[in-house]
Amino acid sequence: MKHLFTVLACTAVFSLNAQTPTFPENGARNPNHTIYALKGATIQVDPENVISNGTMLVQDERILAVGASVIVPKEAVVMDLTGKFIYASFIDAYTTYGMPEVPRRKWNPEPQFVSARAGAFGWNEALKPETDASKMFSSHQASAEEFRSIGFGTVMMFAKDGIARGTAGVATLNAEDGDNKALLKAKAAACYSFDKGSSAQDYPSSLMGAIALLRQTYYDADWYRTAKNKTEFNLTLDAWNNNQSLPSFFETTDKWNVLRADKIGDEFKVQYVFKGSGNEYQRMDEMKATNGSFILPLNFPDAYDLEDPYDAEMISYADLKHWELAPLNPGAFEKYNIRFAITTSDLREKKDFLSRVRKAILYGLTPKAALKALTTTPAELLGIQNEAGSLKAGMLANFIITSGNIFEEGTVIHENWVRGHRYIINDMNALDLRGTYDLNVTSMAPAKLKIEGEPSRMKATHIVADTIKQSASISVSGNMVTLSFPSKEKEGTIRLSGLVNSESKFMNGRGQMPDGTWIDWMASQSEAFKPKEKEKDTTQKDIPTLDDVIYPFNAYGQTRKDTSRLTRLLHTYNAILIKNVTVWTNSNDKDSIIPNTDVYIVDGKIVRIAPNIIPTKTAFALTIDGTGKHLTPGIIDEHSHIAISGGVNEGTQAATSEVRIGDVINPDDVNIYRQLSGGVVAAQLLHGSANPIGGQSALIKLRWGANAEQMKIKGADGFIKFALGENVKQANWGDNQVTRFPQTRMGVEQVYYDHFIRAKEYHAQWEAWKAMPQKDKEKATPPRRDLELDALVEILFGTRFITCHSYVQSEINMLMHVSDSMGFKVNTFTHILEGYKVADKMKAHGAGASSFSDWWAYKYEVKDAIPYNAALLYRMGIVTAINSDDAEMARRLNQEAAKSIKYGGLSETQSLQLVTLNPAKLLHLDSHMGQIKVGMDADVVLWSDNPTSVYAKVETTIVDGQVMYNSKDDEEIRKNMEEDRARITQKMIAEKNDGAPVRPVKSRRPKLWDCEDMEYDGDYLNDNENNEEE
Amino acid sequence: MKKILFTSLILAAAGIVNAQQPVPAKKQSKSVLLMNGICHVGNGKVIQNSVVGFKDGVITLVGDATVMRLDLSQWDTTINVAGKHVYPGFIAPNSTLGLTEIEAVRATSDFNEVGYMNPHVRTQQSYNTDSKITPTVRTNGVLVAQITPRGGRISGTSSIMNLDGWNWEDATLKADDGIHINWPGYYSRNWSEDGPGPYERNKNYAERRADLEKFFAEARAYCMTPKPAEKNLRFEAMRGVFNGTQMIYIHADNVKDIAEAVTFSNKFGLKKVSIVGGAESYKCTELLKTNNISVMLARVHNLPMRADEDVNQPYKTAKMLQEAGVLFCFENSGDQEATGLRNLPFLAGTAVAWGLEKEAAIAALTSNAAKILGIGDLVGTIEEKKQATLFVSDGDALDMKTNKVTHAFIQGKSIQLTNEQQQLYDLYSEKYGMDAK
Repeated sequence: MKHLFTVLACTAVFSLNAQTPTFPENGARNPNHTIYALKGATIQVDPENVISNGTMLVQDERILAVGASVIVPKEAVVMDLTGKFIYASFIDAYTTYGMPEVPRRKWNPEPQFVSARAGAFGWNEALKPETDASKMFSSHQASAEEFRSIGFGTVMMFAKDGIARGTAGVATLNAEDGDNKALLKAKAAACYSFDKGSSAQDYPSSLMGAIALLRQTYYDADWYRTAKNKTEFNLTLDAWNNNQSLPSFFETTDKWNVLRADKIGDEFKVQYVFKGSGNEYQRMDEMKATNGSFILPLNFPDAYDLEDPYDAEMISYADLKHWELAPLNPGAFEKYNIRFAITTSDLREKKDFLSRVRKAILYGLTPKAALKALTTTPAELLGIQNEAGSLKAGMLANFIITSGNIFEEGTVIHENWVRGHRYIINDMNALDLRGTYDLNVTSMAPAKLKIEGEPSRMKATHIVADTIKQSASISVSGNMVTLSFPSKEKEGTIRLSGLVNSESKFMNGRGQMPDGTWIDWMASQSEAFKPKEKEKDTTQKDIPTLDDVIYPFNAYGQTRKDTSRLTRLLHTYNAILIKNVTVWTNSNDKDSIIPNTDVYIVDGKIVRIAPNIIPTKTAFALTIDGTGKHLTPGIIDEHSHIAISGGVNEGTQAATSEVRIGDVINPDDVNIYRQLSGGVVAAQLLHGSANPIGGQSALIKLRWGANAEQMKIKGADGFIKFALGENVKQANWGDNQVTRFPQTRMGVEQVYYDHFIRAKEYHAQWEAWKAMPQKDKEKATPPRRDLELDALVEILFGTRFITCHSYVQSEINMLMHVSDSMGFKVNTFTHILEGYKVADKMKAHGAGASSFSDWWAYKYEVKDAIPYNAALLYRMGIVTAINSDDAEMARRLNQEAAKSIKYGGLSETQSLQLVTLNPAKLLHLDSHMGQIKVGMDADVVLWSDNPTSVYAKVETTIVDGQVMYNSKDDEEIRKNMEEDRARITQKMIAEKNDGAPVRPVKSRRPKLWDCEDMEYDGDYLNDNENNEEE
Repeated sequence: MKKILFTSLILAAAGIVNAQQPVPAKKQSKSVLLMNGICHVGNGKVIQNSVVGFKDGVITLVGDATVMRLDLSQWDTTINVAGKHVYPGFIAPNSTLGLTEIEAVRATSDFNEVGYMNPHVRTQQSYNTDSKITPTVRTNGVLVAQITPRGGRISGTSSIMNLDGWNWEDATLKADDGIHINWPGYYSRNWSEDGPGPYERNKNYAERRADLEKFFAEARAYCMTPKPAEKNLRFEAMRGVFNGTQMIYIHADNVKDIAEAVTFSNKFGLKKVSIVGGAESYKCTELLKTNNISVMLARVHNLPMRADEDVNQPYKTAKMLQEAGVLFCFENSGDQEATGLRNLPFLAGTAVAWGLEKEAAIAALTSNAAKILGIGDLVGTIEEKKQATLFVSDGDALDMKTNKVTHAFIQGKSIQLTNEQQQLYDLYSEKYGMDAK
């Protein structure tokens, strides 16, 4: 049989040209159409069908026939595979096999506004839809071998660079047969991601910028496609349009990015296939709702080395949990009936692949689903289901021969045939010498020789007197065996060479002692090889389930299974009665504090405020004794940057009104919980202040455990961030950042005029277009949809409202002049630290103010900031709020508001309004938030003391009538978390002791953004705490 | 050109408003008696109806008005502070006040010198008595501050200043009180062009620690050399540490770093040691107590270091130190540390909300801080023979709602309780025809 292989290998080399008819021959043609008959194996035709004791005929690169009663032609070369299994070889739908290395992003100290690429391409370097992986592809023998050794025969390959990455091809792994015989399909999919890759261009510098760029490009491409009179030739948009007929694969780095991509897909009627990141199990309902198919990595994290208890503290609960639950991921998709394929992508070592698949099976994936995910599903995703993925006549001869069921521990892959090219992985005909032998060597005491392992990779041990064990090296070539082991008596190694009689399990021959003396030796088998009894997996009972997932997936998240604490911790009340409490209603300045009364909340609304209320609902009802305590409307933070993924600034252009914080809400941010502990119920999540026209805000309630869309306040008006002063003119950005317009306050004004005038013209163009008769439209080109100008038009027409970062009186005045002349209002000046200097003008304009209590002198432009600002503005009749812009300060905004009592003499109720009713007004939420009044949203906070006192603590925070924070529950949650941490830590240590690989501790801490944070050089995808590092 | 531009900017700014710095106070020439106030002595005691008298800058009389016989004619000035609170001047350790004016303007920053082992670099003569920030700090009751350098392994030598004076000599309460070490972190993070990396074990920890030991060993050897052949300013600056006249302040937050700092101090026989920051000091209170090491507790208004930690841990640490018997005070380093120094009393207020007794919190702001800084014999309590550095507030000074300082004295000098911010407020209130409340 060994013989045959040599012949075959030669054939392959010779047949190369013969089977590529367009190529010239050098020497005689060598046509070879041998039929191979593979008999007696268990043939897994596809995940559904299996033939035991079947026969498969293979000729050239295809399967001739498969079945239980196939007639074997007499000229066929027959292989007896009794006891073996045959599967279609695996297909990896997401690799960079055979692709050139992606260049690293060049660091560019100065801004780069447009693509530096030569040619008639689009403006943004991160868009490379014209990339054609099939044209860059060239087989790579070493990596093909790596793939084949774990059972793969076919892979998709793409260029992993950029936001639009062009088209992916499909290749088979017969690397030695030439690229023409390996490339199977030139264009199988178009690839996308949020990662700008090697692009050194500034835009996008944030995740929300990447999203906006994708959206704008879909619009641009459509406009370009339909334009009657093209004003430019754009290769990028051409390619983009051509790619739309292909399946679109979207690579994600986090479960939330799946939803972000899916939202784009919904807008443009594209259903993406998602390349997952491995943490999708944390939000399966949401994954299901995308209707997408998934390509899943098996990047289950290694355990951390937690032997040092302080080191262990560095690892977050989320990381510990993810380590424990990650292997559930593939099984979760099966359970939710979502179509998925499995990829080797994101694995540090490909050789771990099969053991990872088996682990996923241990964690609930069925073998059938695993096989599907490795064969038929990727074939369908790549549109090659008639070529590969199952074993049918006419399909490619892409299959593996295994020693048993591929998903069982211990099974090895013997052979991997790729397009009829036979590759031996673990030779099934290797001499099997395994067993225990009596070894006799001249002049040495009798010993035993134990040979174990796989026949193709045997391990030997030399045993003297049953106790002294030394490992020996053994190798077999043909019928010749070579053995060596250290000598007991003399320094050095004893070396033996001999012949094997495999029938009688006998070896003998000659050898040399360390001193060079020649000796004779023989070994006869005394005991046959017994495979190790598979230890009953004791960990089986420790296998977690999806019920162990916490929502959100972070510290202070809760499982959905814990029925014992259901009513307290799972926020499922529909009625809460707070008794005998002092209520700060915010209704008006006088009589706004009602002592000793009851507040009744039903279905998320305040339904009654009166003494001695008798509750009408008793199911899932909670009664809280408020004696001696204070109940206030929940705190609303007008200026927040928590719960945002992938950067808070898209400051790469002077105007980026196309980006939306609403696209990048991060529901897992622990700061949501921290702020609930300080009585915050809602926040405006703002874009940063790096440019005059920033991005669109998101208004959220702090619904801990909900997803991003659920956190948004339904029906809220649209808001947008503007900014003035040092940040937008990049005054403190170093000497390289001196070329982006504007660099002075003079320029800032012109940015506004330019953009609003353009927005007006843009609007007029659309109006003209809408008014155009249909027959004229057919001949004309519609205006280009511009997401940046869309947002500005909304401002002009009063459907989007400005929150403007501002410090110095001159610029505040300037913006009011611009807006007055353009016909819109500035809704809110935020920070507004010199607002006191122009309070009269602000009042006349109708702008509100959202300020810091006492920050000042951190920049030159705030040297005149005064802590009396808020009180002065309030008393001037301007709607005034105190905000945080800071994750720490946000949880004690009551204290910050109380400073206005000290600085400027506001009353206690007035000061509380600064963080409750007034921000509600500024955010246009005051019709249902900001007061304790019948009919209002039940967003209330129970305080231990007068909330304007430094001594007040939050006892309970209620959002929409549901308890989101309670100081007693907090203790219990923490206790449970500590216990669970300890349990998982012990589990990790046990793994380490069992020899599993461990990694040193690394602690990613939650990112805290403020206004001025720019992402570092485009690394905006790595702020997720739970990202696996493999 | 830049200079000209800058000058004209300042002139322009000055032209807008006519705000003025408060004038430094004159030496106390007339005796003062504060009558009937609630006196927080600073050592945990309260005198509900007190008399506090001081002459020539020194407290000469402290007592209970209900049991004392007073000869009012002996006092030049008598101030009735009935119902008001009298406190020792609050002390702000570990501060860059007077070394910085505007964080983002490099020209105004004087706290971080070039170099790695810089014990010879001193803050005293760089302290700017005319800082616009200082008057906003004293108006909330903070009257003394330790002015501390930053950066390097050994940042330099701090001095303790009264927050009033014509010049730094005038303002000095104690010169060169101690040396500041930034302990090399057991955990550290690398920074790359992709921003900060995750925290992991500091691969260079052993080397960094060895650097410090080497420096200390060599400095000690130098100080023991009768006549060093060449003067070494860095080593010279360490004499006070080895002869026990100067404090060693070791800045460390992580529990492992704190434990290492303690071992290090013991190895060199350092007697006067304080841990600055000590965010995780609550995890090793026994160690600190046994070794008689105090803590200048990191800003209370801080988030926990890790997502899993108790959300309110920074609020609770003070109480845990108090219960364990570790001597501690409050400090406010971090973002906006100088401009935010006026919030020091409220850090203590928050600690009270989370379980620390109020008088213990006041002690932390006063006598504890004084003890730790080695000025306990001069200030920190309202007791006879102490310097008359104290203030009167209408209400509870730890609560922002009621903190309203009506009188303040530094060494008996009556401090002008105004600042530019108040003046701007008055100016614009007047412009709009409003009462400046």
